[in-house]
Amino acid sequence: SNHSYFLQKICLSALLLTATSTSSPVRYLAKLSSVGSISEEETCEKLKGLIQRQVQICKRNVEVMDSVRRGAQLAIDECQYQFRNRRWNCSTLDTLPVFGKVVTQGTREAAFVYAISSAGVAFAVTRACSSGELEKCGCDRSVHGVSPEGFQWSGCSDNIAYGVAFSQTFVDVRERSKGSSSSRALMNLHNNEAGRKAILNNMRVECKCHGVSGSCEVKTCWKAMPPFRKVGNVLKEKFDGATEVEQRKIGSTKVLVPKNSQFKPHTDEDLVYLDSSPDFCEHDMKNGVLGTTGRHCNKTSKAIDGCELMCCGRGFHTEEVEVVDRCSCKFHWCCYVKCKQCRKVVEMHTCR
Amino acid sequence: MAGAIIENMSTKKLVIVGVILLIFQVLSFLVGGLIAPSPTTAIPYTATKCVDIRKYHQKWLMPGGRNPCEKIQDFKEATERHIEANDIVFAVHIPKPDLEMSSWFQFMLFVLQFEIVFKLANQIDEAGVVTIDASLAYRDDIVSEWTPMAHSKEQRKLNCVFPANKTKKNEGLPYDCDLLPFMEVGTVAHKYYLVNIRLPVNERKKINIGIGEIKDIGLVSIHQNGGFTKVWFAMKTFLTPSILIIMIWYWRRITLMTRPPVLLEKVIFALGLSMTFINIPVEWFSIGFNWTWMLLFGDIRQGIFYSMLLSFWIIFCGEHLMDQTERNKFSVYWKQVGPIVFGSFCLFIFDMCERGVQLTNPFYSIWASDVGTELAMAFIIVAGICACLYFLFLCFMVFQVFRNISGKKSSLPAMSKARRLHYEGLIFRFKFLMLVTLACAALTVIFFIISQVSEGHWHWGGHTVQVNSAFFTGIYGMWNLYVFAIMFLYAPSHKRYGDEQSNDLLHREDIQLTTTITHVDGPTEIYRMSGKEAQE
Repeated sequence: SNHSYFLQKICLSALLLTATSTSSPVRYLAKLSSVGSISEEETCEKLKGLIQRQVQICKRNVEVMDSVRRGAQLAIDECQYQFRNRRWNCSTLDTLPVFGKVVTQGTREAAFVYAISSAGVAFAVTRACSSGELEKCGCDRSVHGVSPEGFQWSGCSDNIAYGVAFSQTFVDVRERSKGSSSSRALMNLHNNEAGRKAILNNMRVECKCHGVSGSCEVKTCWKAMPPFRKVGNVLKEKFDGATEVEQRKIGSTKVLVPKNSQFKPHTDEDLVYLDSSPDFCEHDMKNGVLGTTGRHCNKTSKAIDGCELMCCGRGFHTEEVEVVDRCSCKFHWCCYVKCKQCRKVVEMHTCR
Repeated sequence: MAGAIIENMSTKKLVIVGVILLIFQVLSFLVGGLIAPSPTTAIPYTATKCVDIRKYHQKWLMPGGRNPCEKIQDFKEATERHIEANDIVFAVHIPKPDLEMSSWFQFMLFVLQFEIVFKLANQIDEAGVVTIDASLAYRDDIVSEWTPMAHSKEQRKLNCVFPANKTKKNEGLPYDCDLLPFMEVGTVAHKYYLVNIRLPVNERKKINIGIGEIKDIGLVSIHQNGGFTKVWFAMKTFLTPSILIIMIWYWRRITLMTRPPVLLEKVIFALGLSMTFINIPVEWFSIGFNWTWMLLFGDIRQGIFYSMLLSFWIIFCGEHLMDQTERNKFSVYWKQVGPIVFGSFCLFIFDMCERGVQLTNPFYSIWASDVGTELAMAFIIVAGICACLYFLFLCFMVFQVFRNISGKKSSLPAMSKARRLHYEGLIFRFKFLMLVTLACAALTVIFFIISQVSEGHWHWGGHTVQVNSAFFTGIYGMWNLYVFAIMFLYAPSHKRYGDEQSNDLLHREDIQLTTTITHVDGPTEIYRMSGKEAQE
């Protein structure tokens, strides 16, 4: 069983739950949902890939599961955006597991996927909370109690507290149930937390002055979540500077320490990994590596998106392609674009 | 000849009074810091994107509850379904599900934040102005219909900057947009509120064109915490009779005298009156009545008190300095009091333009239009200049008083021992009061800075100290105690009244002194003394 597997399952199950999108690739599931005979709790049972404890959490928090699905999608999209120019481009496979075996091993890539997933869930649940979709997150549960009196007396806690707490219970439970003794579980838990920290440590504080005549005599501040792109950027930086660790026993507890003792120990926000990554060059279905054959590359770049590195020295094809592009467009703020079609010829480089 | 209590009190008694006041001061800080929650709460909301289906033509679109609107998750979905911008309504239900608003919240104000993503082809115009069609409704139970409260078409200037390079690579990154004032309601009389926002597009009139690609609309509601309101009310209810009693006592003492009250006495009484005016807890009525003007009324009361306090300082200094032929008339101080009156008048006009207009249109904001912003800035700058002018005058006067005192000090050794001791005591007490005033002002400034800088609450052992609440109750208590102390210490001394024929050496000396300047009829010795100085 692995983490991404359940993400994919959540995505599918969400189609069951909502089926609002007409472009649903799984039509019959959408049809099923319109029957409306599936009770909510049953849906939790049908989500393959969830462990028993998660099914229980799902049953108890059915209203949150849609945001979990959205969070998973958000994480996949962001991962693919951040890695669009790399050999491993966070591609999801049609067959399970979603991200291939790369993620089932304790690689750097796995560290990123775990971190962005737990961040995505925390982000989406927080969002849902602030749009009033969730009844349970209405008011602070930890400090003042859930009562309306608590709200009247001192207001509510931040939405993010609920989002993070939910991500902790739902995402981390997989590792915790395995027993946190294995080094993989420790690594995953650490990276999950690092993902959430990427949100928490980048919260923006915004303030409004509303004293006499709008003076700052009275000022109210609140915390706003960073845009998810920013979270992705932060985690990508952490990915580049991830620490290779190994498990060691200190006293009676097992902890992860840097493999190279000369490196300074990692913090809560850093990503850690156990195994080094493959080079992702050749197609290797057994390990879930797609290879870079057929990938587009940049002829002029010397970086990883350049043809030299991307194609692993195998060389590349160049062809002239006519692309139909949109140009001189007129936009509305939503949903309306009126464009001319411009055709242009571009050189396209593809790895052999 | 009546002297003030401060002159006739022994140092021991003065210390006792000081300690009692200090205890109350500490109490007022503790009440805010330990009992009250933070003064205000901000709740961030993300607007739900509803589709306004024409065939149903619902008037109010709700994000959840019994009759929820048809929602879309993002605008990609809307594009696929050929929904137009004009069919989209941003709906926010206040408060969150399962909770209800309360009149203890006193006021509600809303801040609007647009989440606009950067698209190379669809950028925000230089002067991106968004036209908002906003409406507000309320209801008191979850089954009844929504009752409209306000509806308006407002314009707001989007102040957005893009934090990265405007390249293809950075598409999808959001702009950093300024918070926009959205709405202010001076009373929270209902349980549930609903905000519906539309951003109508009209290409011909260039309405809502060039505002980029909106992804989400965030709304932050700010209201006063019910707990803070309760503590605040309790404090006001306790302070009102305290100040009222000392005020009556003070005025009785003055009317008991044979002479009519002098200017300084009248000003102190006026200070007490304005303090009582601010103290009277009329806010209790906001719990039962739907009085939207309470916020404005509170501003006016505060304004009156502050201008009274500033005028008092000027007159207090001036009356210890002026020539006897000029002083004791309010008109003498026009030059110093003028800036105060003019400055507070400017702020009053500004407040009327902002909160006054909000009584009829809660969506109005003077900062929304360019002309309004300039006008508001003009008012505030003029008020600022007045404040500077005032403080220059005040500092100059304080300097003059101290110069006069030091002049007097040099002639002290030539005096008899009793007389010298008497003068030294007077100077000490005058300086003491000056110091108290300075300490109060400094404390206000320091606490203001702390409350601005700190996160709002400190953890101290197992307790959470609400710094902001402590600031409000502490400073409010402090100025109450200040006014209390002034009325108490500057009331005419009773002892003096009866003891006029006393054989006490000090008093005989004093009578000698006063007989030399019998025509001077001031409330304090130092006042007489400096009056004499000015004569010389």
